[in-house]
Parts: sequence; structure tokens; C-alpha cells
Amino acid sequence: MNQPLLEAINLSRTYKLAKGSAGKGKAFRHALIEMNLSINTGDRIGIVGESGSGKTTLVRLLLGLDTPTSGSVEFKGQALISGKMPWLRKDVQIVFQDPRSSLDPRMKISEIIREPLVCLGIDEDHDARIDEVLDSVGLERAMRDRYPHELSGGQRQRVAIARALAPRPGVLIADEPVSALDVLVRDQILELIAQLTDKLGLTLILVSHDLSVIARLCNRVIVMKDGAVVESGNTREVFDRPAHEFTRALIGAIPRLPESL
Amino acid sequence: MKKAMKGNISLITGSVMVAITFSLLILSFIWTPHDPLEVTPDDSFAGISSKHFLGADKLGRDILSQIIVGSRVTLLVAALAVTIAMTLGVSAGITIAVASRKLQAPMVYAVNIALAFPAALLAIILAAVYGASTLTAVSAIGLATAAAVAQVTRRTAYGILASDYVLAAHACGASTWRIIRKHVMPNLRASLLIQASAVVSVSVLAESSLSYLGLGTPPPAPSWGRMLAGSQQYIFVNPLLAIWPGIAIVIVVLGFNLVGDGVREVFDPTLRRSDS
Amino acid sequence: MSLLEVHNLTIAFGDKKVVDSISFTLEKGSRIGLIGESGSGKSMTSLAIMGLLPDTATVSGSITFEGQELIGLSDREHSHLRGNRMGMVFQEPLTALNPLMRIGKQIAGPLMIHKGASLKDALGSALELCTKVGLPDPDRVLRAYPHQLSGGQRQRIGLAIALACEPALLIADEPTTALDVTVQREVLNLINTLVDQEGSSLVFVTHDLPVVSIMTENIAVMQLGQIVENATVASLFHAPKHEYSQRLINAARVAEDAFSGTGGIK
Repeated sequence: MNQPLLEAINLSRTYKLAKGSAGKGKAFRHALIEMNLSINTGDRIGIVGESGSGKTTLVRLLLGLDTPTSGSVEFKGQALISGKMPWLRKDVQIVFQDPRSSLDPRMKISEIIREPLVCLGIDEDHDARIDEVLDSVGLERAMRDRYPHELSGGQRQRVAIARALAPRPGVLIADEPVSALDVLVRDQILELIAQLTDKLGLTLILVSHDLSVIARLCNRVIVMKDGAVVESGNTREVFDRPAHEFTRALIGAIPRLPESL
Repeated sequence: MKKAMKGNISLITGSVMVAITFSLLILSFIWTPHDPLEVTPDDSFAGISSKHFLGADKLGRDILSQIIVGSRVTLLVAALAVTIAMTLGVSAGITIAVASRKLQAPMVYAVNIALAFPAALLAIILAAVYGASTLTAVSAIGLATAAAVAQVTRRTAYGILASDYVLAAHACGASTWRIIRKHVMPNLRASLLIQASAVVSVSVLAESSLSYLGLGTPPPAPSWGRMLAGSQQYIFVNPLLAIWPGIAIVIVVLGFNLVGDGVREVFDPTLRRSDS
Repeated sequence: MSLLEVHNLTIAFGDKKVVDSISFTLEKGSRIGLIGESGSGKSMTSLAIMGLLPDTATVSGSITFEGQELIGLSDREHSHLRGNRMGMVFQEPLTALNPLMRIGKQIAGPLMIHKGASLKDALGSALELCTKVGLPDPDRVLRAYPHQLSGGQRQRIGLAIALACEPALLIADEPTTALDVTVQREVLNLINTLVDQEGSSLVFVTHDLPVVSIMTENIAVMQLGQIVENATVASLFHAPKHEYSQRLINAARVAEDAFSGTGGIK
């Protein structure tokens, strides 16, 4: 049997809430409950859910940026531990939601993209690689010496994508990559992610609350609610024939445009 | 726009005041109207005259000369106290911020206790043990303000560590040390400059108070604080004696405060990033 | 006489114009949507109507509301209208509400200020308003603090405060952007119903074309401080005149087609 590329096994994450916020004693919030998920090479998985559904917690656990309360995450059969884990980071990279906050305001674009190359000890000419990824995300090489605040929202997100792609990962996780962007810019960034996924043969994990974003990029979808999966399957099938009540509510809530001629 | 302008005005005014102080310091090594320690009984309580531009004290020592030379103590104290407070405070603040949850609590308590410890008491203890000197005053001031610096640094660093770009750096495989060096320090810079300027003001005032109490620079070396103390008896007879060192202290303290304010207005990203 | 007439409104910060000579009118009981991306000036326009622009803004042109010129009105005079004749719902209800005040008093506030109601009467009306905006267990809600409520509930409170004095005009500035999709739909439906019920006029500010198309009958498309097109929803979608409106509509259509399976990137 083929081993999955990235696997979540009975993954749970519980947060301790501050005392007093919910009466006496210790209060807990179960952000993720006994989640099982396996992702194979080449998959394009969409994770959809509302706030508090556990999707961001899941992303952090998959990246080893957080420690599960119970259960485990395995990448190529190796369990994630806390720490630097260069073997994981070289292969699994992330694009965050808001490039205004995910790029250090005091760093030049070139330094930002250089960070993973330096930290992961990537053995190639860093400057050449920076130019290369800038080209592939459609930014001018002259942007190298700019600071994030000199760029537009869309350009900043391109920088974030460039940083993620710099160490040549096999898996790209995008956590709400377009929801902080203007409507017209969203299209361009989605187009770019789709194009790069194809060209580089990436495994894509896309987290979004927007069903149309998932529909455009993913062949599989997982619908999450309150820390658990309520429905999963082929994107088209789930969206066309939602089995779970919550999925139907999500779909029904989308405002439809007036019919065109 | 308006706020940035206002920041520049504080920055300019403050810089001018600080520059005046530094000019006095340089001048003290080149020229003073008289030997500041020269006692001339004939000039006791001399008023403003062409011989003594700012008058003379009870012993007939020239006030202007004393003020010029007194800038040395003041700025030495400020420089040393800032160095002590910032080095200790910033390293402690960042250490606490990156420490694990379990270690954080006791360290925060330690800082709080240090915060509650009055500088004057520390100075008295140090003076009792080592004898009152500029150095004991500086150490007391530096140690006492370090706790405040640690507190502010910890909070600011905590915010930076919780930011998305630090999370992104973790995802890039960055080590804690690299995150401190490349992300925390550069983003702390504005806050550190402001704190440093505040520490300068506080330490100048504290040195003056300690000298006034006899816990600072011992006589005969002129110090603004002691000049103020010495003039106390004659305040109604000869108020100018208290006014001159008072003005000197105000200029330094206000100057560094205004610089700090100006720096904040210029650096504050919430004021600068008004495009969204 | 129209309820609201905006004529050649220009708002500038220093020499940077954020709203550039825009004009539109709103009849009593009708609705208009202001749509645009960040930096289009849509929010500045709504703040200008409410008299909530920062002091650093220079405003010229004219805004008449119920026959009264609003530009040049002192803050004190404007505050007689705010929360009274015109109400506003903000994007992030958590920051728009006072975190240290119980919900009841916050809803009662405008009634006491503008209608001279006693605290007891105002709290009574607040209870009714809570029921009206569909909050379960209104007694508990009135005693709660903002942080004890969910985002959707807080936005309902925001709506209750805005509607407390039965305003002639409701301004909603991205009222559902911070909410989940399912909650967004509920809040939109609620705004729809209440505005109809009260016979208020509505200015709906948003970046989201599908949302505005179900909320208003007219849409003013804003770009870089200007209204590039002002049309009915039907004519905008059937025959957009401006290239920018066309692009916004295309983007929305691509998303919708992708979702319904008739399009998509792959």
C-alpha cells in the first residue's frame, strides 16, 4: 500500500482557557477533535470551514508549528516533533492570509525570500534563486531592494508565495491566501497559485472560508465544523450534492448574482 | 501628516537642547571663564557681572564655570546609566519573552520586585557599602531603571513574537537566536530608542536628586544636583543660584524627552502606514 | 426633496484627494450600494455623511440631508443627527461597541440622548429592539458585555443601536465582512427586513459585489475616489458602462461559475 505523503492520525488540540472566563475551574476549548486526514502526493485539498472550525489549528499542526494534545502528524512516515525539523520545512511551506503581517516590515524583499534558503541551508546560489522565484511569481527583480510597505497587497502576497517556493517544497499550504486582498487582485493570486501548482507539480493544501476559491483550485474538499470533519470527498460532488446539513447551509448562504442576459 | 510634522518639531527642539548640553561638555575641556573650583572670598554672592556672567556662589566660585564642568558628571551618568539599564533590561526582557511559559512566571515576578525597589534605597545601600560616588549613583540608577526597561521590552517583544512574520520565520526553519537577531531586535529598535531617551532623562534627574541628598558625586567636583543642594539655604537671598543649575537640568531632561517623543512619532508604523 | 443629496463631495488629506467630486442622491425609502476596493473612498464618503471624518480631512462640496446642509456643521450640531436621524453599522462590531459597558445601556444610550427617555423606558425599548434584531434571550443579552457575545450577535446589537431612534437613513459600512458566511446571510436578511419595516433609506458600503447586488436596487461603483458608474443593479449587470465595473462583475462571475461547476481554472 502506498504511504500517504502527509498524514494526521487521531489529531486533537485542546486549548486551556484563562481562568475565570467560563466560571470556576479550568475551561478548555477543543479546537481539533480526533482528526484523521491523509494527503497523497499531487493532491489538491481544500479545507473549508467557518471561524472556530479548527482549520487554522490543523494547518499549524501540519506544519509542526504547534504541538498536538494527542495524536500525531507524520510526513513521509516520519512523526513530527517540536523543533526546527529542516527535513519537513524543506518540503512543506506555507503562505499566510495577510501579507501585511506575514512579511517583516523591517526586512527587504530579498532578505525575506532569503530567509528559508539560509535557515534550511539550501545549497545553491541564493541570489540566483531569489531572482528565479521573483520571476516565477511575476515580480520584477528590481523589487529585491524594496520594503514590504512600498508594495501593493497583491505584490506582497506574491512575495510571500516566492518565500514559500524558494526552498523548492513539494507541498504548499495556503491559509486563506486571498481573503485579505482586494477583489480584482484575488483572481490574479489564485491564478498564480493554480499555475505554479501545475508547473511545479505541488501538493496543495488550501484553507478557505470561500467555497468558490476551493472550487477553482482543489479536486478534494474537506468541510470542517467545530474541530471535526463533517464531510469530505471530490470537490464537485460535495458542492453539487452536499450530504451534510452544514455543507448545505454554507452553500445556501452564498449570495447569488443576478442572472446575466 | 500633521502628526509626523509635530514629531519633527519635538525632534528638532529636543535635538537643539541636547546639542546645547553636548556643546557645554566639549567646552568644559577647552575653556571655562574661571577655574570652577577657584575660591575668591571677595566675589561671594556676586551678581551677574562681566566677571561672573551668571554670578558666583557663597565661596565666590564662578557659576557658569561650574555649570560647564558639571555637564561632565551629568552626561557621564546618563551615558553609563543608559548602558547599564539598556544592556541588562533588554537582555532580560527578551530572555523572558522567548522563555517557556513555566520559566516566564518566576522571571516576571523577579522583574516586578526589582521594579518596586526604589532607586534611592539602592543608592543608599551602595553608598553605605562603597562610599558615595558617581559610580555608586550610576549603578543604582542603572539597576533600578533596568527593571522598567525589561518590563517594556518584554511586552513589546512578546507582541513581535506573536506576529505572523515570526510564525512565518518558524515555518522557514529559523532558530530562536535568528528570530531574536533578525526579527525581534530590528522591530524593537524604535521602542528601544524611546526607552533610552527616557532613561537618560530619568538618570539625569536621579543623579541630581542623589547628589542633592549627598549620595552622588562627592565635592568638590561640580555637579548640577549638588549646586542645587548648596543653593537651598540662600534661595530667598539669592534665588539665581538655584535657577541656573535648575535650567541646565531642565534643558537636558526636556531635550532627551522631546527627542524620544519625536522618534516615536517618526517611527510609529501606525502613523506611517495610513494607506490602508 | 430627496432624503440625501451628495453634490461634488471632495475629501482630501493634505493634497491627497481620497474622494474626488462625487455626486449621488437617495430618495426616502430607497437604497444605494457604494462598491469599490480599498482606497476607493467608499468608507470616507459614509463617514463624511455621519460627520465622523478625522479633523485632518478637508471637505468641500455639499451633503444635504432632510434639507439640511451637513458640510460645515459643527460636531455638536452633527451629533444631534447621528444615532437619531441617521444610524450607522460598522464593520467590526467588537471595536464599535464599548467593551466596559453592558449591552443594555449601549442600546439605551441614543434613546436617552435623543429622545429624552428615562433609563427605565430606554431599557424597555432596548429589550424590544433585541427581540426585533432576533437575539435569543434578550434579558440576558442586555446584561452582557460585548466580549460575551458572538460576532453575529454583536453585529445584531450594532444594528439595534443604529435603529434605536428609527433613523431616516441607515449607513452600513461592510457590516458583514468580519462575519462567517452563514452568519453573514442571516445579518443581511435581517438588515433587509428591518430597513423595509422601518421605511428607512439605506447606504450599503462594501467591496463585495454579490452581497450588494442582493441588498440594494442602485449601485454606485467607486474607483480611486470617483464614482465611475451609478446604475440600477439590473442595468449594471446587463450592460456595465465602465470598464472597471465590467472587471468587478467578471471577477464575481468567474468565482460563481467556478463554484457552480461551469468554469474554473482547471
